[in-house]
Parts: sequence; structure tokens; C-alpha cells
Amino acid sequence: MITTPIVAGQQLPDLLKNPTTRQLVQYAGASGDFYEIHYDQDFARSTGLPGVILHGLLKAGFLAQLVTSWAGRSASLKTFEVSYRGLDLPGRPCRCRGVVKAVDGSTAELEIWTEDPDGQRTTVGKATVELL
Amino acid sequence: MSGAVDGPTIVDRLKAKVGWSGAERVTTVEAGHLRRFCEAIGDDDPRWREEAPPTFVVALGSETPPLPEALEYGKGWLNGGDAFEYLEPVHIGDTITSSTSLVDAYEKQGGSGGLLFLITETEYVNQHGRVAVRNRGTRIRR
Repeated sequence: MITTPIVAGQQLPDLLKNPTTRQLVQYAGASGDFYEIHYDQDFARSTGLPGVILHGLLKAGFLAQLVTSWAGRSASLKTFEVSYRGLDLPGRPCRCRGVVKAVDGSTAELEIWTEDPDGQRTTVGKATVELL
Repeated sequence: MSGAVDGPTIVDRLKAKVGWSGAERVTTVEAGHLRRFCEAIGDDDPRWREEAPPTFVVALGSETPPLPEALEYGKGWLNGGDAFEYLEPVHIGDTITSSTSLVDAYEKQGGSGGLLFLITETEYVNQHGRVAVRNRGTRIRR
């Protein structure tokens, strides 16, 4: 929850996720995305991947959690967009981070991203939040 | 009559489908579904016991457009990105009607060969006839 005025440059508290293959199966079931690259190692490798990878939309879900847990119930998310730039594998921590880029009246623009353990930004995006 | 050896390419056939819309889906947002979705993400905010978190609407439809032509290109799908616009909250018990349209199709050369980009738009309309969420998806064949 936000307790102080929002200013540009402010960082959101990091959200650290430790995704597992079990979580990928959970997400496959809950989202209805049963594409095999997310739970079948042989299939994933047959498409040229190093192994099963996180669903892009699971990483989007992590980043949405980063934003909504920071903004709180009284704020409302207006736009949220992400590009999946790199592969994330289960067993590798996925750190979700964000920073306030600009504040205009009651609207805050955020830059958000996921970072792998090598510091590579594997998902990048932005969000607009209306602070009430 | 000699056979046409060079028919339209997969990309040309998909470009010709720009404007195509998939079947309408009508789904009621169920408490158990919402709970399992939040558990899968690992988001235990009590707010989501009534309201859907921002990416939930994707679970009401299919991630990749059902375009058989696309499957002839490359070896698999990758997700390139998602953009959401939020107009109204989605709650348990809401009935959401959605359909996905193909809005663009193009090819790019990547480091290890061609990539086919399919851009889709999906509107999620609630039982009051108002658009609750819009999604623009970038789906890639490689």
C-alpha cells in the first residue's frame, strides 16, 4: 500500500518469484494454456528451446501483482503492457521490479520488468495507475 | 494446364485473414476458477476473492488464435507480448463475452530464421454490454 506521496524515481518494492515446473502446470490448468513447451521437456526441446519455459502471461501475472500490491485497492490500473524479451526457466528466480517514471495529477506511469539471476531483463513493460 | 508451383505463401494467406474474428465465447467468472488462477500466480491478495486480477481475462479465452495456416510456419509458438486496457473491473459472477480478431500479420527475419508475427485484439464485454478489458496480443511462430 502507498503511504507517502508518489514521486518520479520512486522504486516499487521488488517481488521475488521462484517459479517451479509445478507452478507452470498450475498456471496451464488455471489459464487454459496447455501449450506443451510449458510442461513437456522433450516437446520444448523439439521446438529449439533449452527446456520448458515460463508462460509469458504468467510473468505478466507476476508483474501485475507487483503493481497492484504496491498501488493498493484504492488505486485503479488503467493500462498494462509487457513484451516478453527473454526466456525464463523454472528453477531460476524471477525478480519483478518497477519504478515510477512520471506523475501527472493523479496518474502515475510506471516502468516494470522481470530480471533473471544474471540481471537480464526478460520481460519489459509499463503501466498506468490512477491514484485515488 | 500446368500446376501453380508457387501458391501464396503462408504469410500472404495470413495477411489475407486480417480482419478475421474467432467465435464469440461467453463465460461466467467462477469463484473456484479465480482462486486457482491466483494460486497459480502466487498472488494471495484478499482483494482477488471477489475481483479478478489484471491478467485473469486471458483465462476466459484461447492464448493463440485458431488459425491452422499459422501452424505450417516454423516449429512452435512464442508469446511476444500483451497490452491490456482496463475500463471496468471484472468480478465473480460476471458474464463475459469475448472474441478475438486478427489485426495484423507480418514476417521478420530473426537471428535464427524467419519469425511470423500475428497481432490479435480481444474485447471482453460484461453482462451490461460494456467493454471491461481490451487485450492486444503479439503471438509469434518461429
